[in-house]
Amino acid sequence: MIAIIGAGPAGLAAAVTAAKKGEKVILIDSSTRLGGQYWRHLPSNWKQKRLPYFAEAQELFDQVLSSPLITWYSNAHVWQAEKKNEIFYLYVVKNGVEEVITAQKVILATGAYDRSLPFPGWTGPGVMTPGAAQAMLKTHGVLVGKKIVIAGTGPFLLPVATGLASAGAEIVALLEANKQWRWVFNVHGLLLNPSKIREGVYYLKKLRSLGISIQYGSTVTSFEAGIATIGKKEIACDVVAVGWGFVPELSLAGILGAKLSVQKDGTVVVDVDRNQETSIQGLFAAGESTGIGGSVLAIAEGEIAAGKGNRVTRWRAQVFAKGLQRVYPVSSGWLSSLNSEVTLCRCEEVKVSDIQSAIDELGAQDGRSAKLLTRAGMGLCQGRVCGRNVSEVVACHLSREVPDRERIASASRPLAGPISLGELGDGLGKKF
Amino acid sequence: MSANKNFDAIVIGAGIVGASSALALTNAGLRVLVLDRGAVASGTTGAGEGNILVSDKEPGPELTLALRSRDLWFELREDVGDSFELEAKGGVVVSRGDDRQLQEFADKQRFAGVDVRVVGDEELHELEPHLTRGVNSGILYPQDAQCQPMLAAAQFLKIVRQRGGEVRTSANVTNIFSAMGKVTGIETSVGKFSTPIVVNATGTWAGDIAKLAGTFLPIAPRKGFILVTAPMPQIINHKVYDSDYVANVASGEADLQTSTVVEGTRSGTILIGASRERIGFDGSMNIDVLRRLAAQATSLFPILRDVQLLRAYRGFRPYAPDHLPVIGEDSLISGLWHSAGHEGAGIGLAPGSARLIADQIIGAEPFMDPTPFSPGRFQAGAA
Repeated sequence: MIAIIGAGPAGLAAAVTAAKKGEKVILIDSSTRLGGQYWRHLPSNWKQKRLPYFAEAQELFDQVLSSPLITWYSNAHVWQAEKKNEIFYLYVVKNGVEEVITAQKVILATGAYDRSLPFPGWTGPGVMTPGAAQAMLKTHGVLVGKKIVIAGTGPFLLPVATGLASAGAEIVALLEANKQWRWVFNVHGLLLNPSKIREGVYYLKKLRSLGISIQYGSTVTSFEAGIATIGKKEIACDVVAVGWGFVPELSLAGILGAKLSVQKDGTVVVDVDRNQETSIQGLFAAGESTGIGGSVLAIAEGEIAAGKGNRVTRWRAQVFAKGLQRVYPVSSGWLSSLNSEVTLCRCEEVKVSDIQSAIDELGAQDGRSAKLLTRAGMGLCQGRVCGRNVSEVVACHLSREVPDRERIASASRPLAGPISLGELGDGLGKKF
Repeated sequence: MSANKNFDAIVIGAGIVGASSALALTNAGLRVLVLDRGAVASGTTGAGEGNILVSDKEPGPELTLALRSRDLWFELREDVGDSFELEAKGGVVVSRGDDRQLQEFADKQRFAGVDVRVVGDEELHELEPHLTRGVNSGILYPQDAQCQPMLAAAQFLKIVRQRGGEVRTSANVTNIFSAMGKVTGIETSVGKFSTPIVVNATGTWAGDIAKLAGTFLPIAPRKGFILVTAPMPQIINHKVYDSDYVANVASGEADLQTSTVVEGTRSGTILIGASRERIGFDGSMNIDVLRRLAAQATSLFPILRDVQLLRAYRGFRPYAPDHLPVIGEDSLISGLWHSAGHEGAGIGLAPGSARLIADQIIGAEPFMDPTPFSPGRFQAGAA
C-alpha cells in the first residue's frame, strides 16, 4: 500500500496516478475537504467564473472519490512516523484516537505555509497573512475587513486581492515589494509555460476591472491604530495582509531522516532525485516541500512520485518556479525596519532587544542558543512562524550569514502535528 | 610550550557545572578561562528540567552535597541576581500502593537533615487539587526547587566575564599538556593557553577529555526524554513524582525505565519526565517511551488528558558506574580536576560541586569530606 500525506494538488495527483496503476492508496489529510490549502475548496459557481485553474481540481476530486483503490482518510493527521525493517509506520490521530498506518511507500505532499516577517505592529489585531485572509473567506465565508491593505511579494497576492475585492472588501492598497521589470528574469519560464501568461493576464484584467492597481517596490513598514505606514504615506485600513512567499512544511521529512537542503534564498526543502524519491528509500516527496513551485509543478511531481508522470512538464514548471524566485526575492530590507521593541516570536513574546541581549550579554551565538536563552520559537507554533526570522536576526546582529545546518535544524521539529497526552497515553486504537 | 595566554584556571565545558565552577573560582580570586566546543549550555544542561532536588536522594554523601548545593543556589541568586527563574516550589512524592517504603525512606532523610512532611489525603489534594483521587498520601519536600538551567549557566558566565574571566565558545579542546604529572596547558582550535589548573566539566563527554589528558574516567550517557505540553494556566503547583522515580534514579539497570515527574514551569508549559535508558548516544525518538510517559502523567493528573503535547526532547545524562558524581583532582595528573558524572542531578549539584573543587584548589577546608567523589576510585590500575 502507498500512503500519501496531504490532499493538495501534489497528493491528489499522486493518489490518482497510483490508483490508475492498480495500487492501493491511503490518502491522509487533516482537512475535511479535498484540495489542500491551494484548492481550499471550490466556489460553487467556479465554472461560470471561468477560474483558470479549478477545472483540473474538480477532475482530480472526482477521480479520488470514485476510485475503489483510494481510501481518503480525512480529518486525520500524522503526528509521528518511523521506518523499521523497510516498512513505514505512520502514527495518525483521527477523532481523538491514535492509530498506526503501515505502508511500503510513502509520498509526502505536505505543502507549505505563508511566510511572515516581523515589522512594527505586526502582532497587533488586524495583521494577518494573505493565506489566512483567503482561508477565512473561502472556508468560513468571513470577510476579514472592509478596508484591506495587501502587501508582501509573489504572485499569490493577486488572487487574494481579487478574491477579497470580489467579496466586497475595499483593497486600499496592493503592494508588491519587488519591481515589475524583474520579470525579465523569468522570460524563459513564461515562454515555456504559456498558461502562466494567460493566468497573469486574467488576474491583471480582473484587478483592473475591480479598480485595483498594483504599487510596485513598496511595502507596509508599520501598522498602528488602524494606520498603515507605506514609505512616507499613511493609509487608514482595518486589515493588513502581508505575505512573503511560502515556507515548505518539512516536519515529517525531517522526522523520517530525509536529507534536507538549503536553496539560494534560504528556503529549506527536502532533497529528491529524478523520481521524486528522497534520501530514504521508499519515501517520496512532491509539491511545495521539494521547493516552492505552484500547482502545475506539484501535480507533475505528484504523478512522477506515484510512478508515471511527464518529466517535460515538470521541467518546464521547474524552470518557471526558479525564475519566480528571482522575480520575487525577499531582500534583507525587513531587518532594517525592525527596532529593538519589535516582537520576533509572538507565542513567547520575545522582542528583538531580548535576542540582542542574549547575544551581547549571555553569549548566544546561533539560533539555537538564542532560542534556549529567550524562549523564542518555543511556544505554540514551535518556531514555524519565527524560527527562520530569529536565525536571520541573530546572524545580522553577529554580521554573518545563517549557517545551512541552522536553517535545516529550524525547519525540523520532533512532532509533525498535535496530539493530546490522553491520545498518546491511550496507545494505538487500531491498526491498518 | 608557546602559549598566547595564561590563566589561573581553565574550565572545559560551559554547561551548568562548568559555569558554576568558573564562577566559584572567579569569586575565589582566580583568572579563569571557560571553553566549550559548542555554545553556552548546548549539551545536557540545555536538555534539562532544572531540577534542584533533595527528595530523590538517600542519606549519604550525595544528599549532603545536595543539601549544601541547594542553599548555594539561593546564595547565588543574591550574588548574580534573580535572573534564572529560581523557585522553591517544593516537591511532592506520591505512592499508589503500600506507602510504608516511602515513609521509611523519608524518615531516614529527615534524620539526615531533609525537611520532610508527611501529608494525608485532604492536605495532599489541597496542595495539588488536580491530582487523581486514586492517590491519598504523599510526602512534601519543601526544599525541592527549580531553575531555568540554560539561563543560569549563561548568567553565571556573564558574571565571570564581568569579573575578569573569559569565555570562548566554539572552541574545541585538542590536547591537554602535562609535565612531570602536572598540568601545564591546553591546546584548542582557537589557540594554546597555559595554566596550572584544568577543570573537566564536560559531563557526558568527560571521559573523552580525561583520555586527551592521558587519564581515565568511566562516564557514559543515560538517555532521557521529556515531554513538554502547550502552555496553560498554572494547574500543578509542585514537582510531583511517582515513588518509582526514586527507585529508578538509584537503579543500575540498562533497559528502559519510566517513572512520572510532572511539574509546571513559569512559562506555563508542563514538563513530564522521566525516562532512563542506557543505549549510548542514540538520538532517535522512541515513541513507546513518549507513550509511557504520557500514560503515567495522565493517570496522576487526569486533567492533562486533553492537553496538547507541544514537543518532546531528549538529553544524555552523564553517569558513573556507582551513581556518584566524580568531583576532585585526578589521581594520575595533578592540576587536572574533574566535576562530572552528576547523572540527572547536575543542575542541583552544580554549585556544591563547584564549591567543593574551589575550596580544595585554594587550600580552604572543604565543607564536606570529598573522598567519596574522588576520581581515584576508578583510576586505580587504569594508567
